[in-house]
Amino acid sequence: MKKEKILIVDDSEMNRSILTDMLCDGYDIVEAEDGLQAVATMQKMRAQLSLVLLDIVMPHMDGFGVLETMRANHWIDDVPVIIISAENSSTQVERAYELGAVDFIARPFDTLIVQRRVINTLLLYAKQKQLIGMVEEQIYEKEKNNDLMIDILSHIVEFRNGESGLHILHVRTLTDLLLGYILKKTDKYNITSDDISVISTASALHDIGKIAISESILNKPGRLTPEEFAEMKKHSAIGAEMLENLPGYKDEKLVRVAYEICRWHHERWDGRGYPDGLSGDEIPISAQIVALADVYDALTSVRVYKPALSHEKAVEMITGGECGSFNPLLLDCLREYSTQIRTALESSSIADAKDRKLQSITTETMKRVGGSASERTLRLLDKERVRNSFYAAITEVIQFEYTPYPPMIALSEFGAKKLGLQENIVDPAHDQGLARLLGEGGWEYLEERFRETTPESPQVRVDRVLSYNGASRWHRIVAQTLWTTDDVPRCEGALGIVMDIHDAHLKMEELSQKAARDSLTGLLNRGSAREQIELRMADDPQGHFALAEIDIDDFKKVNDQLGHMFGDRVLRELAQRMKHSVRSSDICCRAGGEEFFLFLDYNDQIESTVDRIYKNLCFEIDGRSITISMGVALSVTEGAFYDRLYRAADAALYAAKQGGKHQYRFYDESAMRDTLQGARRAHPDVMPEEDKPQK
Amino acid sequence: MTLQECYAALGGSYDEVLGRLRSERLIQKFVLKFLDDGSFELLCRSMEEGNAEEAFRASHTIKGMCQNLSFTALGDASAELTESLRGGSLDRANAEPLFARVREEYRRTSDAIRAFRAGLEQA
Repeated sequence: MKKEKILIVDDSEMNRSILTDMLCDGYDIVEAEDGLQAVATMQKMRAQLSLVLLDIVMPHMDGFGVLETMRANHWIDDVPVIIISAENSSTQVERAYELGAVDFIARPFDTLIVQRRVINTLLLYAKQKQLIGMVEEQIYEKEKNNDLMIDILSHIVEFRNGESGLHILHVRTLTDLLLGYILKKTDKYNITSDDISVISTASALHDIGKIAISESILNKPGRLTPEEFAEMKKHSAIGAEMLENLPGYKDEKLVRVAYEICRWHHERWDGRGYPDGLSGDEIPISAQIVALADVYDALTSVRVYKPALSHEKAVEMITGGECGSFNPLLLDCLREYSTQIRTALESSSIADAKDRKLQSITTETMKRVGGSASERTLRLLDKERVRNSFYAAITEVIQFEYTPYPPMIALSEFGAKKLGLQENIVDPAHDQGLARLLGEGGWEYLEERFRETTPESPQVRVDRVLSYNGASRWHRIVAQTLWTTDDVPRCEGALGIVMDIHDAHLKMEELSQKAARDSLTGLLNRGSAREQIELRMADDPQGHFALAEIDIDDFKKVNDQLGHMFGDRVLRELAQRMKHSVRSSDICCRAGGEEFFLFLDYNDQIESTVDRIYKNLCFEIDGRSITISMGVALSVTEGAFYDRLYRAADAALYAAKQGGKHQYRFYDESAMRDTLQGARRAHPDVMPEEDKPQK
Repeated sequence: MTLQECYAALGGSYDEVLGRLRSERLIQKFVLKFLDDGSFELLCRSMEEGNAEEAFRASHTIKGMCQNLSFTALGDASAELTESLRGGSLDRANAEPLFARVREEYRRTSDAIRAFRAGLEQA
């Protein structure tokens, strides 16, 4: 048999150890050394926990905090808590009880007392769990069977019969009890617990055929005439027929059972009943039992034609054969469990007499079951968890769950091992391991991303470098936040996975770098240079930037005279010289053909810098002298806008060429305005949108 | 030194603890473990720093352990200190003498356990 699991929460290792030694023979022990750890453990394995032994005075989160968390999450409904604190002030103990603790074991611990208390509490809760399970089962069946309709139907009948409203309930209660008892006696009827629920529910319909019987016969105070009695007897067949004609429901188990009960609840064991004169076990067991229950309740109730008889008298009459013959096994049950039956019926009438209290009890129960996590849900969740961790284990995925209250991350076993972290990270904002993994501000960033989600768009995707095992690699974190179904949804946390995308990421980066660069010189191409320049200026709009546009003088002639191979060498040499003339953070670009540009930031002395660069970029190669023309524009005069800078540099370059090449010029607005207009016409692609002709 | 003698030396009740834990082996295990517990160091540090809350917790833990092990003398001393520290404020005039007693009893207790352990190691 599987051992029950007990969680021991105490900050003193010795106290945990003493309790563990006392209990480890009979139970599986899980330990937690403070309240936060306890909550984390419960979050993970609550469905498997049978009991919590809880200390009060602890660091991080004390026992009261644990109890409050358990209450807020309704865990306390399923997992009993025994307080084991050295606290003996009565107010503290009282507070623990108020918060839902079930028992208190004072120190010093006594082996026998601890073991006994644990067993008692477990037994009590096992019973309670069983009861909850039963109630839920019934509610589940009830819902499925659309019990409300049955209630309404059967009460219409009762109303017409002038009965108290208790008849249906009594028949049902008795049917339920007798089914249980007969199940103990024999298995020849193949009744499952599921069947019991269906049969007792269907029992409520046994008299629906009476709807078709005239009220004058139904409520006649005196004896019925033979004709009237013959009319009355028709109700069983009529009821069965009504059910048979229910469109669409014929194959429902409930309808089939109700049919049996309606038609044959006036049959008798010896074959002298109606309408079909069946005998013995030709009569379905459901109908046999309802027949007995029907007779019993008729005897013990007041009718227009008779007073109520006592329980004892009724049992005596039925077992004595005064009300027709019944299955001897059933009569045995009635005799044997007479006392229990009387008690059960008495309590059911009390519950019901006060204006259909049953209904409200059921509603209450449903609320309870619906509000807290029911056993069924817990089981499902547990199964889900097992399944998830199985998949996680075989697919080697790092899985995590995050809850904001209390803040905690639970990693899958594989994930924790892989990342070198604890499986449960309490208070992630202050966890050093997590900070090392995610880097400075990493957790805050993730948390912010979680906060930005909504129930409609709960996904989060973050690519980030994670550092563990001495390496830093790109990872993708994909998560989904979870929301309550309240009117105003509340975020209850998130679950997600972490994937290593390092290789794919590098590949992508390499590809985009390749696309961004000119293949001959390795310099950036125009598009990506423009992007980076814009980024740089947006980062620091007040910065001092210079853009230099460069053209190799008479490059066409060089190409024509010395061939393309030589031309390419010239381009590569210039590119190298450009790179070496500026800092690595500056931007060098081959815009196309023999056109290049440079983008740099400077503090002062731009004139001498430009002069130095210009001289560097005129060179000799294989005895051939190569010169350039260069136009420079500054952001301090033109503003930190790419288009403007580019146009100005272009205009300056144009002026330099006009001035005889082999020189550089700074853009000078008054001197070059006309040239600027010319440049605009020559380079429509750098014109701002509003200047372009409308198509 | 037997376990009984150790209990006598530290002012505890061996009969009482045996009645509860029912196994000499277990008692010995926990008694030896007592030396590994850091609560006393934490108590000294917190008293020094004037951190009443932490001191309360540490003293409370010592009290609980002593109750479980029937270390009566240290248990009583730490119980009194615990009560004086309850509520999170440190009243030195009141707490210092109680703390001094806890220190004194802790030394007696740990000396006795060390002597007992030394005897075990020789044997």
